[in-house]
Amino acid sequence: MPQLVLDKVSVHYEGQAAPAVERVSINVAKGDFVVLVGRSGCGKTSLLNVAAGLVEPVRGSASIAGRPITAPGPDRAVVFQNDALFPWLTARENVAFALRLRGVPSGERARRADELLRLVKLDGAGDKRIWELSGGMRQRVGLARALAAEPEFLLLDEPLGALDALTRERMQTTLLDLWAAAQVGVLMVTHGIEEALVLATRIVVLAPGPGRVVRTFETGFSRRYAAGEAIRAIKADPAFAAARGELTDAIFEGEAA
Amino acid sequence: MSVTSYSERPTTRTDESSALSVPWSRPRPKRRGISARAVSAITILAVLAAWALSARLQLVSPVFLPSPFAVWTKFVVVARDGFVDATLAQHVVASLGRVFAALIAAVIVGVPVGLAIGISTIGRGIFDPLLEFLRPIPPLAYLPLVVIWFGIGEPSKILVITIAMLAPVALSTASGVRGVSQERINAARSLGASRFQLVRHVILPSALPSILTGLRIALGAGWSTLVAAELVAATRGLGFMIQSAAQFLVTDVVVMGILVIAAIAFVLEFIIRRIERGLVPWAGRE
Repeated sequence: MPQLVLDKVSVHYEGQAAPAVERVSINVAKGDFVVLVGRSGCGKTSLLNVAAGLVEPVRGSASIAGRPITAPGPDRAVVFQNDALFPWLTARENVAFALRLRGVPSGERARRADELLRLVKLDGAGDKRIWELSGGMRQRVGLARALAAEPEFLLLDEPLGALDALTRERMQTTLLDLWAAAQVGVLMVTHGIEEALVLATRIVVLAPGPGRVVRTFETGFSRRYAAGEAIRAIKADPAFAAARGELTDAIFEGEAA
Repeated sequence: MSVTSYSERPTTRTDESSALSVPWSRPRPKRRGISARAVSAITILAVLAAWALSARLQLVSPVFLPSPFAVWTKFVVVARDGFVDATLAQHVVASLGRVFAALIAAVIVGVPVGLAIGISTIGRGIFDPLLEFLRPIPPLAYLPLVVIWFGIGEPSKILVITIAMLAPVALSTASGVRGVSQERINAARSLGASRFQLVRHVILPSALPSILTGLRIALGAGWSTLVAAELVAATRGLGFMIQSAAQFLVTDVVVMGILVIAAIAFVLEFIIRRIERGLVPWAGRE
């Protein structure tokens, strides 16, 4: 099974006294949904950028299916917090752009793009310009575009961070549906504790100064959703509240009260 | 306690605002009174009236300041019969032709230079000092050199205007390129875009609003360089027309030429703003 592996990765940005990340190892197998949480400055985004090939680690290595990661590539499509879409194109054309980069013949692109837009529940919005869409709809286009690359792994950098609470909740189930449908491994960064619990199969808690792993939780709530249980029922489960307490404690552990 | 402070606040606020005597500090539901546009119209009319009145009362000799009516009459006459061997339309076409030829040249050179400045450190190192050197020099200063080098033909005139347009086009392009969001670039890279595809499909369109602004500024700069460019050995053009008229103290043609130049600049600005709105409707609403 292909794996995305960060092995004892250290990141040290030029001109900064302390490293941003020190000796962090993370494995994401296909089918995993790994969520990185932690306080500001714990290096979550740095780690995601290492996996994306946008940041080079000073020590340690990153590899995907055994191949070392040296540059960004369509096998690891990234979705950012602020949609990085092209406002001069329509929603459909944005998705088709990714298909074109993959070498999909021009005749097939529109049809395939519409399929992907349907997958993210945006059917009918294909002709809309990006600036005519709401924040949630834009993130859906961003997801459809990332999936157009047919990645083995999805890298999500706070994709729901800029959305309002209600849209965010709806997008969480969309993410889970896509994860199940596309059969990918996901590495995601978030600030949301509940979001991490809902989505993850594994939660990696990082602490700052320098960024390091303090705890890893294996969680099963997203598998329960995939098995058919309603999201509200899962959130109402006392086990969910208990896990939330434990995760919150882990995140704020060692912080001066 | 928080309840009382909440109930008290709006009352004091209302009192304050009603006590204010400055009328424009109060938000008004509907626009009342006079608009800026109306004030502008009145200003223009006032200037025209002062002009007409001073000509009428002969405060200034008509050799220095012909009346508005004389200028208008001249406009009609020159439009019909021409001045110095060409009709007004021919002068306008000659000038517009030079400015647009220069604009095309400035785009062909300036946009790639701007891209180079925005994308690569070496490009910035090469072109930044050159542009900063060229930018503040008035066209009249390099005009003689251009004539010495390239003669007195049409290419020299176009070149002078092009030089004036180059810096605004290149610098606006560069600032547009530098302003492209890193996330947008990273997303395209992660989808597998090559360096060329990145420039062609992400950076250039992202910089387009800024490039168009550069074109608008360049057109203004080029248009104001026109008279200088037509100083030497021109036989047609608005700048040439004004200068020939000035040599014979035909002041009404001089004033008419100035007004025509101003009117065309105004129309060009309007057209290019229209084009901007049509071409980059996303600008400012991302």
